[in-house]
Amino acid sequence: MRTEQLTTHQKTLQRVKKRPFSTYQFQTRLFLFPYILGTFILVVLPALATVVIAFTNYNTIRPPEWVGLENFFRLSQSAYARISIQNSLYFIGLAVPLRILGALLLALLLQRKRRLFGLHRAAVYTPTVIPPVAYSLLWLWILNPVYGPLNIFLGWLGLPMPAWLTEPGSARLAMVILSLFQIGEGFVVLLAGLQTIPRALYESAKVDGASGWQSFWRITLPLLVPWLLLLTFRDLLVSIENTFTPSFVITYGGPYYSTTFAPLLVYELAFDFFDFGMAAAFMLLFFVLMALLIGGITALVGPRFVREDA
Amino acid sequence: MRKLQGFWRTGLHHGTAVTVTAVFLLPLFWMLVTSVRQPGLPPQRTVEWLPESIRWQNYADLFVMMPTARYIVNSLKVIAVAVPVTLFIASTAGFGMSQLASAWRRRLFLGSAVLLMIPGTAVWMFRFQILQWLGLIDSLWALIIPAFAASNPLFVLLFYWTYRQVPASIFESARLDGADALTVWWQMARPLARPTAVGVIILTFVMYWNDFIAPVLYIYDAQLYTLPLGIQILKQLEYGNWPYLMAGSVVMMLPIIFLFILLQRAFLHNISLANLFERN
Repeated sequence: MRTEQLTTHQKTLQRVKKRPFSTYQFQTRLFLFPYILGTFILVVLPALATVVIAFTNYNTIRPPEWVGLENFFRLSQSAYARISIQNSLYFIGLAVPLRILGALLLALLLQRKRRLFGLHRAAVYTPTVIPPVAYSLLWLWILNPVYGPLNIFLGWLGLPMPAWLTEPGSARLAMVILSLFQIGEGFVVLLAGLQTIPRALYESAKVDGASGWQSFWRITLPLLVPWLLLLTFRDLLVSIENTFTPSFVITYGGPYYSTTFAPLLVYELAFDFFDFGMAAAFMLLFFVLMALLIGGITALVGPRFVREDA
Repeated sequence: MRKLQGFWRTGLHHGTAVTVTAVFLLPLFWMLVTSVRQPGLPPQRTVEWLPESIRWQNYADLFVMMPTARYIVNSLKVIAVAVPVTLFIASTAGFGMSQLASAWRRRLFLGSAVLLMIPGTAVWMFRFQILQWLGLIDSLWALIIPAFAASNPLFVLLFYWTYRQVPASIFESARLDGADALTVWWQMARPLARPTAVGVIILTFVMYWNDFIAPVLYIYDAQLYTLPLGIQILKQLEYGNWPYLMAGSVVMMLPIIFLFILLQRAFLHNISLANLFERN
């Protein structure tokens, strides 16, 4: 019995000697290898390649040639590119603030633990996980000018009934409207953000005689600024991406290119015309525009936020 | 008086919440109702709350008018490979990351966070070229391949956060017993991350089941179409025939709704990390 224990102990010691600490660390690093390699090949490399392709006449068939700024010059001449940028800026300018505001209001409404509130939160999250194709078909029906439930409702209320998808202005607006229901991500993030605010702050504010409205402006909102900024940056990049499937399935960019947003134009340039160079140049241009926008917002909000924090 | 005011405020709060739920769920309810209407009838000019007669046949018709079964099988094939691969890669990478020295952990974390900001559109073109070089255009592997990069950096970070919460001494003692990294991960780390794994499985399932863009970009052979492309075809086949279009949408949506109901139960009934450590 005693000897047996000794021998197992010795065996363990031997094994530890055989597999020193560094081997274990090497093995755990090996675990990271597929993730890093895969991400490099499938995400990092293609993203960097897009920057290079923008300066070539690449079309996947001929070997690419360096054409300098020609693609950008052609873009500046292209009415489609201009319309697509305008559409995208319209979408971002309207959808991003409304989406963040909507997520914030819903998070404030449903943050407390009350009966059935779990169900309400699930309901708010549902449109976000619905398959985009099914969601698009659903809206194709909702927006039908004659039989669609939306116009029937508007008719009941005696409100004007737009032609929605058949008229450029209302079609573009419709794309914004349908994006406003897919705000589950921001909603969940802000619910988490609200949880991090210490209850004690509200209690002491109440003792000092602050109204609910005051404690919202003085406590809740300032403490949520980092979360709201993060969401805004992500939404600037992601919400426009999410227009691809609806604009592809519902309108295919029409009528009169009114719903041709940036991702759809990239798709058309790259996969209908196989003009990868142009598509990449447009992508790069759009990305720089978004980076400038993000930089601008940071410059505007950043200093004030830092001062409040200090 | 104060109490009465509180009662009204609570009532208002609940009322608003119910209204919000109605606005978010009503379209889905209409989708269901319309999906069992008699096809070919003139569309109703008022909102129909319940159909006059229920016609389940619409769902069976979907499988006759186009190869819906094959589309579903293709979608499931993609998921059958992509979900386990994602789970394995994300869980091991998250574990590997949690065992790094702090400087490298921070770098990898920042790198993954930056990756989350890269727009999908930016990678479409050269990924097409890479898949062409690998001979994977017009193959279900073109849809599966992101799984080998953990599908989404967020999944790696989720596992990383889970494993960081485990006291380092637990893994150290196993290591001193001579266990290699794979054994430590499989026998000690992985069981502790079960709630995270459930979450990642569901998110991955949703990601591949919903995926419309990748098949549009990389699949041209009609034999290999997945269900989202099938629904797009249904739209062209039966344009304006709302009962069929909505039935197709319901088929597309049902597994997702089912999974999310499952998710809630999984999260509720799971032995959380905290519980586990309290028992030890």
